[in-house]
Amino acid sequence: MTQPTHSSSTGSSNTHAAVSARVPLWRDVVVLKWVTQVALLAVVLGTMWFLASQAGDNLRARNINTDFDFIERPVDIQLGEGIDTHPDTGGRALWTGMVNTLRLSIAGIAVATVLGVIVGLARLSDNWLVSRLASTWVEVLRNVPLLVQMIFYFSVLTTLPRVGLDTGPINGWLHISNKGISMPRVFIADGFYQWLVVVLIGAVAARFVHRRRTRIHDETGANTSPMLWAIGTVALFGLVGLFVHPAFSWLGGVFGAVAELLDSLPVIVPQVVLAAAAIGLAARWILRFLAAHRSARGHLALTDDDWFRVIFTAAASLAIVFLVVRWTGLSSWILNSGRDLFHVIEAKFDVDGAARPFDAMRPDIVQKGKFPNYGVNGLTLSLGFAAVFFGVVFYTSAFIGENVRGGILAVPKGQTEAALAVGLTRGQVIRRVVLPQAFRIILPPTGNQYLNLTKNTSLAIAVGYSEIVQVGTTVFNQTGRTLPVVAIWMLFYLSCSLTISVIVNWFNVRMQLVER
Amino acid sequence: MNDAASNPETSSPAAAAAASGQTRDLSGARDMIVCEDVSKWYGDFQALDKVSATIKEQEVVVVLGPSGSGKSTWIRCINRLEVHQEGRIVVDDVELTNDMRNIEKVRSEVGMVFQQFNLFPHLTIRDNVTLAPIWVRKKPRAEAEEQAMALLERVGIPEQADKYPGQLSGGQQQRVAIARALAMEPRIMLFDEPTSALDPEMIKEVLDVMKTLAHSGMTMMVVTHEMGFAKEVADRLIFMEDGQIVEQNTPDLFFSNPTEERTKLFLSQIL
Repeated sequence: MTQPTHSSSTGSSNTHAAVSARVPLWRDVVVLKWVTQVALLAVVLGTMWFLASQAGDNLRARNINTDFDFIERPVDIQLGEGIDTHPDTGGRALWTGMVNTLRLSIAGIAVATVLGVIVGLARLSDNWLVSRLASTWVEVLRNVPLLVQMIFYFSVLTTLPRVGLDTGPINGWLHISNKGISMPRVFIADGFYQWLVVVLIGAVAARFVHRRRTRIHDETGANTSPMLWAIGTVALFGLVGLFVHPAFSWLGGVFGAVAELLDSLPVIVPQVVLAAAAIGLAARWILRFLAAHRSARGHLALTDDDWFRVIFTAAASLAIVFLVVRWTGLSSWILNSGRDLFHVIEAKFDVDGAARPFDAMRPDIVQKGKFPNYGVNGLTLSLGFAAVFFGVVFYTSAFIGENVRGGILAVPKGQTEAALAVGLTRGQVIRRVVLPQAFRIILPPTGNQYLNLTKNTSLAIAVGYSEIVQVGTTVFNQTGRTLPVVAIWMLFYLSCSLTISVIVNWFNVRMQLVER
Repeated sequence: MNDAASNPETSSPAAAAAASGQTRDLSGARDMIVCEDVSKWYGDFQALDKVSATIKEQEVVVVLGPSGSGKSTWIRCINRLEVHQEGRIVVDDVELTNDMRNIEKVRSEVGMVFQQFNLFPHLTIRDNVTLAPIWVRKKPRAEAEEQAMALLERVGIPEQADKYPGQLSGGQQQRVAIARALAMEPRIMLFDEPTSALDPEMIKEVLDVMKTLAHSGMTMMVVTHEMGFAKEVADRLIFMEDGQIVEQNTPDLFFSNPTEERTKLFLSQIL
């Protein structure tokens, strides 16, 4: 840059021609950049192809079967708990395991968050005892391996009294034994989906109520608690819905009609829609990208990386179009599953007019094999679930607590002082000034903890809770299809993690501070 | 401010006197801030040592002193951001004790401007100014926003209302901070080194706003190193060192005829 006679390595395309004219190809940064991009792509694709073909050859040579046929084949598996304790097929067994993992993860994330926030705030408390307790909680839980904790909870819980057939039938509300904790179960009955429609209408109404109460607050300054009113509206609709829900049984016909419509559509329709969506989205992205890089005078300044992105996007959208056109199976699959889905929904509405939305049952005790156990009538928190659940929740709460504490401490002291100085109360300072700023600092690392929690549920294999890894192990022991099962595990955990990441990132982007 | 409006015969000549840099007679005005033997320790270090002073209504007091002399600690005690351990502080007839209600009353009557601005970065300029009026004074939003715009007009940046603090220059941020404090309609304004974190060319715009404020009859207590401002606007200068008040006088006498050795040394170093 200091010597104008030398070609400067700015590398931007608009100067490309002028600069390249004086530089040999092997020293031209722009050419080098493009060559490396293409070469790297070729190496990556080549390596993947090589590894895949090698693995395939070796597996064939050793007669290891990598078929996924076990998904449809019958298996002889009995699961401790889940949506289906005697699954017909390997696929059904794995599905039950996935649902159990999701149950653990979702409930775990919710409870660990609440507990973590409490622990974090407690550690910051002025109260000596409270902050000491929270510190001890954090230090003990995060320094003992999670596996050890789970086994510890499990062994403690097994010391509870045994359950016997002479204990039941159970008329109480709560029954605790070494098989777990059982309590009455409220479950959704036939009328539930009609009732759900009433609640959805209530949610829309609540939105309006919320807006209206906010406006009244803005106009008069009175405290109108919009959130409370919105929740009240939903609750009111839910309550009324218990009585009027059969009025919505006609919706079943609507869903049936949609199913028929999907069934009658030719395959070309989803093909056109998908292709148009791919091209439309890519075109919109490219146009916006170009607009963002155009200066006020209309001069387009794109670096080589920018060009690479534009070309890559266009190529990707064309590849999708090609795939959609060639692979008609995808389009007919979409149509068929859409039709099936709407038929299923239709069936949910096709119920006896007097069907209740909810029902309840009390716990019972049955003896299927050697030992008596809780039956399906009650809501049972089994030992395995409890051990894994408390394990991941307590363990993760320690880390989330530290995130919360760090996030609050990271908000400058001046913010609190300024808020106090304009007269806000302690509570208002925390609610209006500290938390909104702390939240942006707390969120990203807490998202990581959610990922960890989900992945850590796989340790449940140690205490025999039938989540995806434990079920999968049984499945490949019976079928010998180790690699396919592992592939399903990986795909499943990957989808869970990516879903969590997308949700957390969405919040994260929305919360960013505006600067410059 | 209310008294200023109802007592035009005392306020206007006083304001005129302040504008011309002359000493004005405030002996008849009521006491706004009374400090009696205020002491404070940080561990073994004594930050304030029996500080006693009375600040009258509409008086503008500038506190000077080397760093670590306790000026900031003192001014921060006056709205209880720091807690004094001995002595009495009475602000507008309300004594600062452990009584929550007294503390809140004082804070809602005393505005404060900080060296680091301390604007709320997650709120727009307008929301920064309206936050306290809406949640503390329970004002309707429309009214609070109207007032906010008037205040932003007064400090000269109404066009920035929809931006965020991070998008403004230091001088602009400090003027917003002044508007935010004024939105609570305080009777007293405290300034804790308001220009120390600013680039030189931005200091003037903030000082100008402070001068206008002083001329409008606001009771002000200012910790600053801006001697020009002190000479021009102050009714009284207070010089502190090691947590004690060393000397206090009108600007003219303070600069021309300091009595204490320490004050002379300080002045010789900064002038």
